Amino acid sequence: MPTISVNRKDLDKLLGRRATDKELEAWLPFVKGEIKDYDTATGELRIELQDSNRPDLWCVEGIARQIRCKLDGKPGPSPYLKTGKRRHDQVLVGKGLEDVRPFIGACKARGYRVTEEGLAQLIQTQEKLADIFGRKRRTISIGLYRLAPITFPVTYALVAPGQVTFRPLGYDDAMNLREILEIHPKGQEYGPILSGQDRVPLLRDATGAVLSFPPIINSRDIGEVRAGDEGLFVEVTGTDLRMVMLAVNIFAANLHDRGATIEPVDIVYPYKTEMGRTVRVPQAFGRPRTITRAEIGKALGAELSLKEVRASLVSYGYAVTGNGQGLTVTLPSYRNDLMHPVDVIEDVAISRGYNTFGPIMPATFTVGGLSRIEQLSDKVRELMLGFGFQEIISNILGSREDLVAKMRLSTGHPAARCIEIDNVMSQSIECLRQWVLPSLLRVETASSRSFYPHLLFEVGEVAVPDPDTETGVRTEVRLSALLAHAGASFSETHSYLALLCYYLNKPADHLTPIEHPSFIEGRAARIELVGPGGTSSIGLIGELHPEVLERWQISMPCSMFELALDPLL
Amino acid sequence: MSDVAALAESLHPHEVKVAAALDASSDKNGLTDDDIAQHSSLEVAQTSAALGRLQVKGLVSILSEVPRQIVSLTDTGERYFQRYTPMVRIISALRATADTGAQLSIKDIQAREELDAAELSGAIGELRQEGVIRIAAGGLAELTGSSSATADALQKLIKYVHEGAKPLAEFTPAEQALIAKFAQKRGKPNEPFRVDERVVRRFGLTETGHAVARQAQKAGVREEVARLTPEMLKDGSWRSARFRRYTIGLSPARIPAGKKHPYREFLDLVKTKLTAMGFEEMRGGLVENEFWNMDALFMPQFHPARETHDVYFVKEPGHSAPIPEPFLTSVARAHENGGQTGSSGWHYTFDRMRTRRLVLRSQGTAVSARTLAAAPKVPGKYFSIARCFRYDQVDATHAPDFFQVEGIVLGQDINFRTLLGLLTLFAREVAQAQEIRFTPAYFPFTEPSVELHVRHPRLGWIELGGAGLFRPEVTHPLGIDVPVIAWGLGLDRMAMVALEIHDIRDLFSGDLEMIRSKRVQY
Repeated sequence: MPTISVNRKDLDKLLGRRATDKELEAWLPFVKGEIKDYDTATGELRIELQDSNRPDLWCVEGIARQIRCKLDGKPGPSPYLKTGKRRHDQVLVGKGLEDVRPFIGACKARGYRVTEEGLAQLIQTQEKLADIFGRKRRTISIGLYRLAPITFPVTYALVAPGQVTFRPLGYDDAMNLREILEIHPKGQEYGPILSGQDRVPLLRDATGAVLSFPPIINSRDIGEVRAGDEGLFVEVTGTDLRMVMLAVNIFAANLHDRGATIEPVDIVYPYKTEMGRTVRVPQAFGRPRTITRAEIGKALGAELSLKEVRASLVSYGYAVTGNGQGLTVTLPSYRNDLMHPVDVIEDVAISRGYNTFGPIMPATFTVGGLSRIEQLSDKVRELMLGFGFQEIISNILGSREDLVAKMRLSTGHPAARCIEIDNVMSQSIECLRQWVLPSLLRVETASSRSFYPHLLFEVGEVAVPDPDTETGVRTEVRLSALLAHAGASFSETHSYLALLCYYLNKPADHLTPIEHPSFIEGRAARIELVGPGGTSSIGLIGELHPEVLERWQISMPCSMFELALDPLL
Repeated sequence: MSDVAALAESLHPHEVKVAAALDASSDKNGLTDDDIAQHSSLEVAQTSAALGRLQVKGLVSILSEVPRQIVSLTDTGERYFQRYTPMVRIISALRATADTGAQLSIKDIQAREELDAAELSGAIGELRQEGVIRIAAGGLAELTGSSSATADALQKLIKYVHEGAKPLAEFTPAEQALIAKFAQKRGKPNEPFRVDERVVRRFGLTETGHAVARQAQKAGVREEVARLTPEMLKDGSWRSARFRRYTIGLSPARIPAGKKHPYREFLDLVKTKLTAMGFEEMRGGLVENEFWNMDALFMPQFHPARETHDVYFVKEPGHSAPIPEPFLTSVARAHENGGQTGSSGWHYTFDRMRTRRLVLRSQGTAVSARTLAAAPKVPGKYFSIARCFRYDQVDATHAPDFFQVEGIVLGQDINFRTLLGLLTLFAREVAQAQEIRFTPAYFPFTEPSVELHVRHPRLGWIELGGAGLFRPEVTHPLGIDVPVIAWGLGLDRMAMVALEIHDIRDLFSGDLEMIRSKRVQY
């Protein structure tokens, strides 16, 4: 979800009217936009756009176009979509690019003198599209150039990185492509996209002058657009033809809206593409879809007349033909987000306004209820509360330091096995807890100033490795109880455990002494459940080892038990 | 009975002794609790308790409070006393090897002296700054010849404090500076000294206090009964007993109680509301594979929210068992070209191996996806309160893990307007909101998608939740042929207001005092 900066005056100009705050608030739902910030002094608006399938809306021109269309009741003309036989200037694609970065699209814009604000918006659109829609330039990247110095045809071809030198943006001296990849910040950032390639893409004009080294950096001589320039060349390269075409269409529409005359460019490929070997850009390439009025009515729960459906779609930018039950609808050229008729249905709803649909209250009868484990958890919580324990609720992500090292567990100890994160961000967040006890010790560490005794418990989830499950990880619900006070002891803790098991009618207080590094020798036991299938271990009880307490900086004796609840069901 | 007499009669025998001791003292500066204990032949703890009660009754006041800082050795300090400080040890190691003509690198010193990395680097830094050692080429350390004043002074101080804890004020300013530098503090737990603050209080009687003390002494310490015992009831001796009068106005002592965690209490309320509305609970695992977490929800494998910077991946095991058919193939086709769903799909090659990659569940919708594939009831309503994990920097608005309240509604009669109806119900029942507003939203798995905004009684307009109708690309491959509402409620802000906290991390606060002090909601 991109957030973009928009100048209020620029927006008004593109809208063709001065929008009041109230109007703007009412119109922004048409673009799924939300104002994040408004600086009344500079007129700068920060707008977040929600729809990640509508890159045409990630710019002020697109926002204004969608709203204007709604206000005018129909989309404006798009004279830049030329289908005629007349030949246009060409971009010639070289061989071998099909395995590197196969597609390119481009167009020319004349008759628009770039303003400061217009330039800022061009650059913002370029960045948002390449970064978010183009997945950090991997699938598409965009270049903007001054048109005047370019001699057509332009060639998009592979070259050896050591062969060609040019002055990249941001540098005074010419560098060869290898140096750019190694030294230039953009080379370092985006170079990995081309890793493993002996030869890399380069864009040159008919005189051999370099336009850019896509997807890395533009030439400083041709590819540095400044306010005041008139005549632009826009080019998009990438790995997905439809995304490349869409990006050029968006730029063509944007520049057209700012008063430019768009001249198409013909791309000539040496290999086949799904749009042919010679591809006219910009081009309306979206396929029409058929949708029935009944489908729309059923999904929205509202009987809409044909006229209403047609009006809502046309005023949202669609081209609509056909009548009767079947409608043929086509998206405008700057959109390519129609996958299923439901996408059209949403646009009908947005165009009509969500708040114009009367809510229908749910009338179907269903029986609510909790899962058995949740019911048991609630029972156990109720009992522990009655025993006078304070309930705790903790984060599940933790560190090996807390879950293992501070508990005196060696790395190889079975109790130390926990689910670790591969892409760790910080040391305090590196694995899922494999027991709840450390969460309670964390509370005890932070709470020595709260009066004693401390009787704490948490019923919560833990994750333990289990090769017998589908994911190899079992999520267990555990009860953990911690007693911290001067007289906290095994026997007191055992009393609570025995009482709990009595009420739950489970003979789970059968204890087998064990040695466990977290507990004082001779004061720890496994809690066993004796069932018809034999005896199974379901928990631990013990007095915490002073060294554990020391590591947690706790200066109060602690005793605990921890019990898995699922086996009790 | 006059006030003085009444008060005198209410005194506990210990209070009378303490009051008497204070009354007898001629020291204008008052007495410390130690002094009083000595004069009254009470234990210090008994004295303190009596002093506390006398203060509450307004008979004793604190005349002065002087903080005193006491220096003692930490475990590290004791170790430095036994084995010398790292500085001393580094110098002597270098000296010993210099005598043999050999040279030591910092690593050699560390190995030889068994110092931990933090200790070592601290000590080296100190010695370099003092000009005692220098690091030559190749990381070799050598002595410059000048001696370390710090190392010597520090060792001397450690020896002195080892004999027993000392008041900080007894040290010279230079020594105090050195102690401060090498004292344990937050972020520096392994220093040799610790400085604890103790407050020395001196007490004196108030004007009433003097009067009451004299009155009480005049009356003498009478045999009074502190409490009624079973024995007294059995033998009837209570009839002749005289019960000490209590001062009723005292604030009671706090008692520990069993109480729900305030956030859990909030979630319990939500849970109750949802079951009352006919929702059945679903459960899922903390660890999910990408298939149920994302693929089944029609999030393309190239979706930005699936990258390593948005999801936590599991190190070991890295992958789940293979995804069962027909779900794997039907979902793969929905992604590639729409399959049988009427969609054109995302136009890319679906990576079937990637479906098994394990992640920490990043959205509660994963639980809904599994429910859809497990032959749910139609009509049916389901919810889950699922712990989810996102790859975010933890701060006041981002917790490392959090609860998502999510669910689905299946039924032949489901459409956009019944979706709005359900959200209206949520707004009324969960947020007690009368005013609501719907705005278009975007989720990869729903179309149409809606955001629900409500006017919260205290917060103003807030976003309460997101919802939509599951895309056919989600439902159809999982074998569902009726419309399905997917909904989620964002309740954390409401919970934070209810609990009066401003940092989302405090929802899982480890501060017992804070948790104990929160009032219940009703």
